[in-house]
Amino acid sequence: MASAKETYRAELRAAARQLGERCLYSAAKWAAELLVGVDLDTSPAPSSAMDSPSSSSAVSAGRLLHLHRSGGSSFRHRFRPGGASSSEAGTPLGGVSYVSTPIPDDDAFDSGGDKYLLAKTYFDCREYRRAAHVLQNQVGRKAVFLRCYALYMAGEKRKEAEMVEMEGSLGKSNAVNQELVALERELSTHRRTGSIDSFGLYLYGLVLRDKGCEDLARTILVESVNSYPWNWSAWSELQSLCTSSDVLNNLNLKNHWMKDFFLASTYLELKMHEEALKRYERLMGIFRSSGYIQAQVATVQYSMKDLDEAEMIFEELLRTDPFRVDSMDIYSNLLYAKESLTALSFLAHRVFLTDKYRPESCCIIANYYSLKGQHEKSVLYFQRALKLNRKYLSAWTLMGHEYVELKNTPAAIDAYRRAVDINPKDYRAWYGLGQIYEMMGMPFYALYYFRKSSYLQPNDARLWIAMAQCYESDPLQMVEEAIKCYERAANSNDTEGIALHQLAKLHDVLGQSEEAAYYYKKDLERMEAEERQGQNFVEALLFLAKHYKNIGNFEEAEHYCTRLLDYTGPEKETAKNMLKRLQSGFPSMDIDNFAL
Amino acid sequence: MSLFAGVGGGAAAGEPASAGGTGRALLELTPHKLAVCHLVQVFAPPAQAGGDVVPPSPFESVAHHNRLGLFLFTLTRSCDDFREPSLEELLRQLKAVDDLTNGCLCEQLTSTLSVLISPDDLFNFFDKLRGVLTAPEGAGAEDILLDPNSQLGVFLRCCILAFNSMTFEGICHLLADLVMYCNSTDTSYDLAEDEDFDTEMNNLMDADISSQADIFEKYRQGRESESHMGESSSALTRAPMILHDLDEANTFKVDEDNPTSLRSRWQLEAYLNQQADLLEKDPSSVPLNSFNATMTQLQTLAPELHRVQFLQYLNALCHDDYIASLDNLHRYFDYSAGMQGLFGRSVSAVQDVIVGKYEGALLCLGNLHCHFGHPKKALEAFSEAVRVSQMNNDDSCLAYVLGAISNLLAKIGMSNTVGIVSSPYSLGTNIGLGTPLSIQQQLLVLLKRSLKRADLLKLPSLLAFDHLSLAKFDLKNVQRPLVSFGPNASTKLRTCPADVCKNLRLSSRVLSDFGTDALSTSSENGSFSTSWLRNLATASDSRRSGSMRSTKLHNDFDNFHYLGQPSPIPSPVLQLAGSSYLLRATAWEHYGSAPMVRMNALIYATCFADAASSSELSLAYVKLIQQLAVFKGYSAAFCALKLAERKFPSSASSHIQLLRMQILHERALHRGHLKVAQQICDEFGVLSSSVCGVDIELKIEASVRRARTLLAAKQFSQAAAVANSLFSTCYKYNLQVENASVLLLLAEIHKKSDNVVLGLPYALASQSFCKSFNLDLLEASATLTLAELWLALGSSHAKRALSLVYQSLPMILGHGGLELRARAHIVLAKCHLSDPKFSVTEDSEAVLDPLNQATEDLRVLEYHEMAAEAYYLKAIAYNHQCKLEEREEAAACFREHITALENPRKEEDSLAY
Repeated sequence: MASAKETYRAELRAAARQLGERCLYSAAKWAAELLVGVDLDTSPAPSSAMDSPSSSSAVSAGRLLHLHRSGGSSFRHRFRPGGASSSEAGTPLGGVSYVSTPIPDDDAFDSGGDKYLLAKTYFDCREYRRAAHVLQNQVGRKAVFLRCYALYMAGEKRKEAEMVEMEGSLGKSNAVNQELVALERELSTHRRTGSIDSFGLYLYGLVLRDKGCEDLARTILVESVNSYPWNWSAWSELQSLCTSSDVLNNLNLKNHWMKDFFLASTYLELKMHEEALKRYERLMGIFRSSGYIQAQVATVQYSMKDLDEAEMIFEELLRTDPFRVDSMDIYSNLLYAKESLTALSFLAHRVFLTDKYRPESCCIIANYYSLKGQHEKSVLYFQRALKLNRKYLSAWTLMGHEYVELKNTPAAIDAYRRAVDINPKDYRAWYGLGQIYEMMGMPFYALYYFRKSSYLQPNDARLWIAMAQCYESDPLQMVEEAIKCYERAANSNDTEGIALHQLAKLHDVLGQSEEAAYYYKKDLERMEAEERQGQNFVEALLFLAKHYKNIGNFEEAEHYCTRLLDYTGPEKETAKNMLKRLQSGFPSMDIDNFAL
Repeated sequence: MSLFAGVGGGAAAGEPASAGGTGRALLELTPHKLAVCHLVQVFAPPAQAGGDVVPPSPFESVAHHNRLGLFLFTLTRSCDDFREPSLEELLRQLKAVDDLTNGCLCEQLTSTLSVLISPDDLFNFFDKLRGVLTAPEGAGAEDILLDPNSQLGVFLRCCILAFNSMTFEGICHLLADLVMYCNSTDTSYDLAEDEDFDTEMNNLMDADISSQADIFEKYRQGRESESHMGESSSALTRAPMILHDLDEANTFKVDEDNPTSLRSRWQLEAYLNQQADLLEKDPSSVPLNSFNATMTQLQTLAPELHRVQFLQYLNALCHDDYIASLDNLHRYFDYSAGMQGLFGRSVSAVQDVIVGKYEGALLCLGNLHCHFGHPKKALEAFSEAVRVSQMNNDDSCLAYVLGAISNLLAKIGMSNTVGIVSSPYSLGTNIGLGTPLSIQQQLLVLLKRSLKRADLLKLPSLLAFDHLSLAKFDLKNVQRPLVSFGPNASTKLRTCPADVCKNLRLSSRVLSDFGTDALSTSSENGSFSTSWLRNLATASDSRRSGSMRSTKLHNDFDNFHYLGQPSPIPSPVLQLAGSSYLLRATAWEHYGSAPMVRMNALIYATCFADAASSSELSLAYVKLIQQLAVFKGYSAAFCALKLAERKFPSSASSHIQLLRMQILHERALHRGHLKVAQQICDEFGVLSSSVCGVDIELKIEASVRRARTLLAAKQFSQAAAVANSLFSTCYKYNLQVENASVLLLLAEIHKKSDNVVLGLPYALASQSFCKSFNLDLLEASATLTLAELWLALGSSHAKRALSLVYQSLPMILGHGGLELRARAHIVLAKCHLSDPKFSVTEDSEAVLDPLNQATEDLRVLEYHEMAAEAYYLKAIAYNHQCKLEEREEAAACFREHITALENPRKEEDSLAY
């Protein structure tokens, strides 16, 4: 087992070095982080890392129970409690045997080695064209890759510049990376002759993706990760090209342990939270102190509405890695949802000091202002975040929310729409669009958006309720459709209990008192279970009392009347009167007229 | 409630932001504009002090000089066009203008442009330009040739200002463009609209990229040889370039280079408008996917130009892609809602619909549902649109919505039992009358409201549309006062042709009124100048005119006008005016005047074909061919049909397809090929949608034809059953005009099945329907049937029948078709023959003349059954006269037709033509 970990470590160590050699910085960073994250059996480091969660696990024992009841994950006690289970966790995951991929030997420094060194230093100083020029006539694979990569980066840099130069009223002009065609030509020749390594394939994939040939890009990237699995950048490019689970399942991937990372992260993206969590739990057995995995797990928990769980992981993450900005925007969303203002302000301050020009930082600050109720400032920071990254999905949606608060409907619609166009599966933005149109008094128009959102998230009661309310609204009054929607909502775990009440009411309106009674009863049961009381409770009791009286079931009627006596208000008087009638034996007389 | 307040406030806040985003920039500088600047400079050289030579040096005469001036004027005007001509095209045009100086202007132009190779050269170029506008020291202002406030002067000043406000980066881009412009001298510059367009579109990006990569390559080489940047680009001038594709790229460079300026947006919009017109005119000519590819391309180039999405919506709509059109509609309005500036300059009817913000979206949504046959959803959308536009005080949108609702109500059959809008906002309460109104009444009230609003708001196109709808309404409905009390309220239950006529005339007033509308702006956006230029090019280059696509729909008279100028009237106006003629033809069809139908359809087909959509144009053709079939027989009709089918591919035009089936069915019935007739009937039944209330007209026609086929097959009870159910359908959907013919059909069925007494009331009812709807020809036909019925009751009624026939004869002989005329003649002969007081020997002409006429007509129609009857009567008449030879001849003919009828041969021939 230790040797397995040792192999992981050796592989990662080599990968970090090789990736760094090729100036693939972020992949190298990722590999190095993971390398440090591998659980060391001999050193005391893991036990100290385990200290903090074990101390907090006692505190959250009660919460753990609660989680179990509500169907939450059992992931905590799988990997948290102590080092005792670590020996099991280290065994090969789920009996899957991995294909071992030999670490490729690097090109030995050939005659061009010095030139390569020079080129790399140029590259490090961001002088891309110069780097490419130095490697002009080198034929080694490494040199070819770096030259192409340098050209690609130069093109990207120029593209960014042109985008600013030519920005105008029509939005982005078609600034493109002008190196793409030449690069594609060269790389495809190399691929045909077989003189391309996996890094070259990765670059080829990038080029193809930029050109819009997504299918081919996917194939090429799969080739690349199969031959060299430690390049996380290649995996994440591949992930961005996997837009549905069908695509994912059709990938022909070798069974390397890096594939687990890829699958987990892709599952998260595709909202297959359970599967993602399972994968991460297994990986956690080996890469015990990896910040990346922790952040991902926290993100999954957050998406599954396990806020407390996620918060704990984030807190711990920040403790071990105080200058981290990655995924901290999710943490801020979480804190926003929990309305913990101080924690959010603390986080905002921290990321501000770390790096204020990260889109995540701007988003965190915007969240803070939003929670404070200063929506103008919040919009300002969201806009800044979007300036830094136009495709920052959640910022668009959140900015839409802010605009709604500011009552700037067109701007809100625009923001939501952009979110939807970036990712058509963002049901929140669809929902937001629907809400705005409903607010503007266009329920029929809003239906389209609600339909879209409930199609994407069919088990979310809120969406069905929103749709039902549209149908029910004054201008439309399509009661039957509304009932159908409420039924869906009631069947999909409607926590606020709106659906049952409305169902009862609507059936009452339609004169279907049997159905109405059924739903009122269900609603009563729910409210009793949640120990909630209020006007709805009284209303349900009153209706049931009247209903049973009308159908001649006086016993039941009496029962409900007596229960009504516990409440104050006009209903109490009605109940009293009704009881009197019931007991005096003249139940058939209509007393409604006197009652109200 | 506070939410609603917020909506208004938010919307108001959104406006200035969007206005700021547009940025009133000047025109953008492009190489083409540099070329025009140079030409202006040649036209009006910097004034020399005292040297007042007219015309200036290179010109030979004042006329020559003026001609260049005119050319430049149109060039500057047409800068609004989407595309800018390539250098080659410009040179060609220039040659056409300047044929005297042997192309010296062209040489001058190319040489001037090709020496502009460094930023400094550009500076000097514009310095010189400045000299054109300012008087030199010591010269009076009148020495300047060019008035700075003239069209050319303003253009020049704009260019200079644009250059001065350009960043260095911009100048570099301009130089790079100039190099490409000068190199693309031998390419054609049309945006390819062929089928292979999408592949070209795909290549486009690549070509663009690679060409720029080439530039860079050259640039690098230039650096290596330690030359100065200018030289390297002049080296480029000699380099062969990718030809056509590069040029394609250039078309888009128009907007990609300096999108800061408003002008490029205009150009794009002009292009989009043109495409929208094309879509409306002939959707089949626009392939769905490649068009979408173009639009996606445009969208990546100009993501803030949301009209592109609207076009995608239109495209999807035209190609019946429900999901895509719905998506694009929503996307378009989500993005564009706050940006009103986009709709200010509307050209086609499509855009002046979008007057408001989200109510416009609802209007479009309603139209979409209407198009896809979801009347209920459409009505919900429309009623929401009414509500929202009332809330936002958007009167013009309200007027349009009302128009759209009335269109929907008129188009889609809805029985009175269906509550059309199931909400308290329903139209009934809006009108302010407590009593529920029938659909027709609601429609009328809506139309009148819409008309009033359109009149108040000065929306001539809507006004014309409403007049047309009213005419349509009057044509088919009896107007009754909405509220009538007491016995005194005697109403004349007749339609009023005068009203129809009045409305039709009022609707064509749009031709003269359009100037007051937003429509008029279209004449200012340079499209006129553009087409002038295009024609100039056509004239100068026969090769291009040869390659013109012949399948395009053009006004036929264009062929007579060499270099015919396009009509300055915007096409939506023409379309509206044209529909009034088409409606006239329909109206006369109802009222029964064949020559008027022909005339109006002809006017439409010749004068309005340019603007007409293919479906409307094909309708005009259909009317003409129907007339041919009725008056000239089938062979003539099929000849014409073949021509029409060539013009409108049958897949695209449902009208033509229907027409073909109609004529085939008629002929099969006449020939007695009942199997074929049945087959065609079945096809008819399949054509209509299965949804209740949709395609009503088609369904009715299918039923009528089924009943007639059954009748021909002598299955009277079944035919009667079909006709009866048809009658109840028509009654349900309030289709009174159709009822008249259905009643007549019933009478016919009973006549043939020898239930004469049963037939009489139907014939009488049909007659009275015809009277109240002024269906004169149908009435004559009903009268004829009545006469036949009386005749069948016995010879004692022959007198009465004869008087009825005489009563209907003028109408029938004047306007009736071959079949009706033959029938009348036969009935006339029968009346005489069965009249006991009439003796054939005394007045044989009175019988034989009509019969000869009838046989002649029926021969053309190949109508065996009736022809047999005519010959039979003839034989009897000859028999009375004891002309045995003639009698045998007639009898032989009779026999011939009877055998043809009873033993139909070569039935499959009936499907061919």
